[in-house]
Amino acid sequence: MSSKQRQFDALVRSLSGDLFRYGYWLCGDEALAHDLVQETFLRAWRALDHLRDTTAAKAWLITILRREHARLYERKVPQFADVDEIDIADERDALTPEFAGEESVIRNAIRGLAAKYREPLLLQVLGGFSCDEIARELNITPAAVMTQVFRARQKLKVLLTGGEQEAKLHELP
Amino acid sequence: MNCLDFRRQLNIDPLCEAAEFLRHRQQCTRCAEALERANAFEGTLRKALDVVPVSPRLADSILLAHATRQQRQRQTVRRGVLLAAAAALVLAFSVGVGFGVGTRKPPKTLQTLVVDHLDKEAFVLAMTQPIADDDVRKAFAKSGIALDHVPAGVSFVFCCPFAKYHSVHMVMPESIGPVTVLYLTEDAVAQRESFAERGWQGRSVPLTHGTLVLLARDSSHFDQVEKAWREALEPTPGVAQARI
Repeated sequence: MSSKQRQFDALVRSLSGDLFRYGYWLCGDEALAHDLVQETFLRAWRALDHLRDTTAAKAWLITILRREHARLYERKVPQFADVDEIDIADERDALTPEFAGEESVIRNAIRGLAAKYREPLLLQVLGGFSCDEIARELNITPAAVMTQVFRARQKLKVLLTGGEQEAKLHELP
Repeated sequence: MNCLDFRRQLNIDPLCEAAEFLRHRQQCTRCAEALERANAFEGTLRKALDVVPVSPRLADSILLAHATRQQRQRQTVRRGVLLAAAAALVLAFSVGVGFGVGTRKPPKTLQTLVVDHLDKEAFVLAMTQPIADDDVRKAFAKSGIALDHVPAGVSFVFCCPFAKYHSVHMVMPESIGPVTVLYLTEDAVAQRESFAERGWQGRSVPLTHGTLVLLARDSSHFDQVEKAWREALEPTPGVAQARI
């Protein structure tokens, strides 16, 4: 087995799970997420020789995945609706104990977030990117990233706290 | 950093490790408690995102897809190489055939071949000293021909094969210049013919079983040279030509 193949195998085994989760939250569909991750790695193989810093592999792969998703988005627009306008009950969440509770509410809320809020939040929480890195990835300013992750958390907390006023979220008197 | 900035930062990135963020946490109990709650929320958020079930066969299926695609690409490349080679072969053959058909030269005539041969051996025209009759007889004898007699004045003789012909190549210095005499021992032309080729005057004459070819810059002595060789080669009337 060549060293390139060994490196590829190691990347697939160590990062495919994280990429799948990120892909799932990006597109909202397990099968599609699987395809996205697979296509991401197949594209990564072609450019693997250019990956100098292996510690940056996750960020690099997430960038590829986002581009793949964007290509998909060009062909088909996923149906996301505003969280306030839909019934966020998830059949799976209702059926299995591990999907019940606070996390279930958050998951449904994340699904309901507009893409401009969901994406930077996913990059921050799942990808481990800083605001500056997210800004570069999304091609927006760091200030815009801060605003969007702030609002994303606000919306999620509002759902968890049963719709309390935004000011209370700062928990200041 | 004040409390409002700190609380805002909690919603932007609760895992912030900036010095002033950490300093404020040390200084403000209420904000430190808010940070704990924010971290708890962050943990819940993280768990909610991580709970997506990942197939244990995900990595294997990706590696299998990769291996399959690699194999398919190799096959495609191999097929491409084979097709390219076949196409190149067909092209080369077509070009070769086309080139051959388009540029094939007409076969050279006897006159051309004779002059070509003379050009290669032009130095023998400078030989003027008569050679022994026996040498001339021996040259003809190699082709199984016995001469009745040897015409006078032969200064060079050699058995020369050229193209498809076997010939006895001779030179006879004359007053008008050297006359080249070639006797093609096995090929008789259909008829007597005079020609001019690249500055040479020529004559080809069917004689017994072969052809007598004469070449010179001036053809005025051809008749007498032809007569001399006809008498030497053709049998006396009523006597068959001797073949050794």
